[in-house]
Amino acid sequence: MKENESELLKDLRALAQDRTSEAPPAVRERLLIELRKRRARRRLFARLPVAGIGIAAAVLLLALASGDTRRFLTRPNVPAPVIADAVDADFYPLPEAEGLPPVEQATVIRVEMPTASLQLMGLAVDDEAGSERVQADILLGQDGLARGVRLVQ
Amino acid sequence: MLESPSHGDDGDLLRLISAGDETAFLAFYNRYQSSVYRFALQMTGRREIAEEATQDVFLAVMKGARYDPTRGSLLAFLFGISRNLVRRCLEKERPYLTLLDDPESEYAGSMADHHDLVGELTRSERIEMLRKAVLALPEVYREVVVLCDLHELDYAQAAAALECAIGTVRSRLHRGRALLMEKMRATERCEV
Repeated sequence: MKENESELLKDLRALAQDRTSEAPPAVRERLLIELRKRRARRRLFARLPVAGIGIAAAVLLLALASGDTRRFLTRPNVPAPVIADAVDADFYPLPEAEGLPPVEQATVIRVEMPTASLQLMGLAVDDEAGSERVQADILLGQDGLARGVRLVQ
Repeated sequence: MLESPSHGDDGDLLRLISAGDETAFLAFYNRYQSSVYRFALQMTGRREIAEEATQDVFLAVMKGARYDPTRGSLLAFLFGISRNLVRRCLEKERPYLTLLDDPESEYAGSMADHHDLVGELTRSERIEMLRKAVLALPEVYREVVVLCDLHELDYAQAAAALECAIGTVRSRLHRGRALLMEKMRATERCEV
């Protein structure tokens, strides 16, 4: 019995030495894609007012005050939008959206945010208007990641 | 024994990974993927399940799975996650197949294949036979044999991974090895 057991342990040790099996490269690639998506999502959420996004996910916000917010804004010198032609036109592309796949199925959510947040998204905003709040539409792709932003008229 | 880096290193990596750091993730993945994948493969004998379990283990890490260094090594923690995923997969399939009956099993086929005319088994044949015998163990014994004998975890680490008492690991390991010896003897008799 003892002899059998020591033989078994020897064989088990030999089996343990076989460390050739590795996860296929596709697993690593899929995980990296997921990591990048999560990072892009995190960046977006860090830049948008949390409360605004939370509410916007459930309902569209009603305009609280109409004011001519456009007077604070000037059109920035940004590259052409990467979003689908059918959807976009007046959406400004977000810097984080570069490299994301084209939008095939778009969702637009409306949020209210300080104009300072628009600066972070690449829109040129008058510094003095930073504390004022404006309504904006966020364009989301089929993967739930934001592609562009536009001001509500 | 697999070299495990200090908790400090792993802790830093985990923090960076949950912040989305790709370099940290790759370092962590390269360090542990082989062990996690082999564990799942040794538990199931199925590459597609091992692949899925490995992916899900690292996804859980990415999502910030909470690791408590006081409860065991990070490797034991990863084995614990993998074990739960593997069990779920096996439970889903249990009504339909047993490992050695599954034609897709990496190791299936030759347990009942008695066509080897050579009386004495070579060493490599014995190892292969042992691999199949491990797969044929009942799950509770298989997991301790895989962790303690094939991944060389000590009793405490295996207990952390399996969320059971050290004594349970010890007794299951003893029983598991006894079953393995029986299976090996039975197979050898058939081969001869």
